[in-house]
Amino acid sequence: MEALTTMAYRQLKRFARAKSRVAGMIINPLLWLVFFGMGWSKVFDNSMARTVFGGVDYLTFLAPGIFAMTVFNQSFVAGVSVIWDKQFGFLKEVLVAPASRKESILGRIIGDSLVTLTQGAIILALTFPLAENLKPSGFIPALGVGFLLAMAFSGFGVSLALRMESMEGFQMIMMVLMLPLTFLSGAIYPIDTMPDWMKALAYVNPLTYAVDGARHFLVGASVAKFSLGVDLGVLTVLAAVLVGLAMAEFERATIG
Amino acid sequence: MAEHAIVVENLVKRYGDFEAVRGISFRVKRGEIFAFLGPNGAGKTTTVHVLTTLLKPTSGKAVVAGHDVVDEPMEVRKRIGIVFQDPSLDRELTAYENMYIHGRIYGLKGSELKEKIEHLLKFVELWEFKDKPVKTFSGGMQRRLEIARSLLHEPEVLFLDEPTIGLDPQTRAHIWDYIRAMKEEHNMTIFLTTHYMDEAEQLADRIAIIDHGKIIAEGTAEELKKLVGNDVVYLKLDAPEELKCLRAEFIRGCKILADGRVALEVENAAEALPRLFELVAEKGIKILEVTYHRPTLNDVFLHLTGREIRDEGAENPMAAFVRMRMRR
Repeated sequence: MEALTTMAYRQLKRFARAKSRVAGMIINPLLWLVFFGMGWSKVFDNSMARTVFGGVDYLTFLAPGIFAMTVFNQSFVAGVSVIWDKQFGFLKEVLVAPASRKESILGRIIGDSLVTLTQGAIILALTFPLAENLKPSGFIPALGVGFLLAMAFSGFGVSLALRMESMEGFQMIMMVLMLPLTFLSGAIYPIDTMPDWMKALAYVNPLTYAVDGARHFLVGASVAKFSLGVDLGVLTVLAAVLVGLAMAEFERATIG
Repeated sequence: MAEHAIVVENLVKRYGDFEAVRGISFRVKRGEIFAFLGPNGAGKTTTVHVLTTLLKPTSGKAVVAGHDVVDEPMEVRKRIGIVFQDPSLDRELTAYENMYIHGRIYGLKGSELKEKIEHLLKFVELWEFKDKPVKTFSGGMQRRLEIARSLLHEPEVLFLDEPTIGLDPQTRAHIWDYIRAMKEEHNMTIFLTTHYMDEAEQLADRIAIIDHGKIIAEGTAEELKKLVGNDVVYLKLDAPEELKCLRAEFIRGCKILADGRVALEVENAAEALPRLFELVAEKGIKILEVTYHRPTLNDVFLHLTGREIRDEGAENPMAAFVRMRMRR
């Protein structure tokens, strides 16, 4: 357990050190929420549009999506930051330690997820004054959904970083993955009105289930597409598989 | 406890077609400082990585602190400390936090951990900088912090991979003092790699010279120098040619050089000089000039390989460049 808690502690310490960077990370989702969300909310301020968005105003519909998007983005970036440990050598210090490597990397992923969740919580808190119909009681459970999502993508990021030699390829992967996954998650428009081929992609997009799960808690079951059990089930399995892979990969890691 | 802290038998490490370590064997006694001396790319760091369980050997056997590095890596890891050639600190965190995290991962905690951190940070004279982020540290300070960190869990065997590479002479001398103090205070076994001859000579009880993945000579610095031959005293004498070759039982050989100087082989130049002065005085010969040469480890390397140890940059300019980039 020592390795797990210590590595989680390290991630939180690093986060606390980098306050200015935190502000930078929050700006992007805030731009989405304010300019994109508030811009369209007036367009969709009519009963027909409300029907499409499950009977709520657009910002209420969008808020869980922005929350999930933030968590997804940041956790992936956090996981991939293992590559800096590789380059600055801290990874060797962990690999040569007489502690369980599986525990060490799990600790790191948990630490990263908590950091990511803090950022998600800040964004979510900022959306409450803007969106009319968000349920304050859904705040904490939505963070639970966010935690599963964060674990899954931190794990994915770690696996990816262990195979990469530099940060250069990573920008490409970000570009290729981030926007399509966001568009295909039902975060900014409903899945039901998508063309069938897009729907199919949305169903296999893990982010879809995080957006839907968060919507369950923050808005209500009537706005959600899947049952809560499906959302949480998919996210739990995904997190277990991706974190498991990262742990297995880290166990085998060598240097040079 | 076994007599040897490290036993290596016929160790081979291959990367594809490239054989980085080509069947080396050696033993390091408990409490001794053992140096691997060789040019860059000789296989020193690869050996360290195998001995510290970070790389699996292709074949051969290595036992460190009583445990096989392949069969029982966890047992080995508990008993060793290492300072890597490239920094391995968390640059965002403070010196204290780096120490604290290391201690926790190695199972230390509470007041015991706190006391040890304080003791070691004071030992390397970084206590007043304990709350500064490591990224603000100079190269020498980072090195000292890494040394302190490697001692935190009181390892039986300490590995230092090029401990003073890239540091200025003053800082190097300072680090040497720490290394000597570690050996003396804790009777620690230290395995050190270096491409600095003075470092090996200053610190090591025994030295193995490694080149192209093979150990080409092993012994104390004095033993190694004997491989090259005797000390040579060069004299410029005001005497007729036939009298120049002085004869005495401590003079092992004599040669008259083209410039007229005479080269005398002796076992130990420092001891031979006063006796030479007496000898020429007896004979009424006047000395115009005296110099002497003692074999250096560089001569040993030159003798064994036909190259100078320092030459690796000239031989392969890319290697030095690549190393600089990697260390950045």
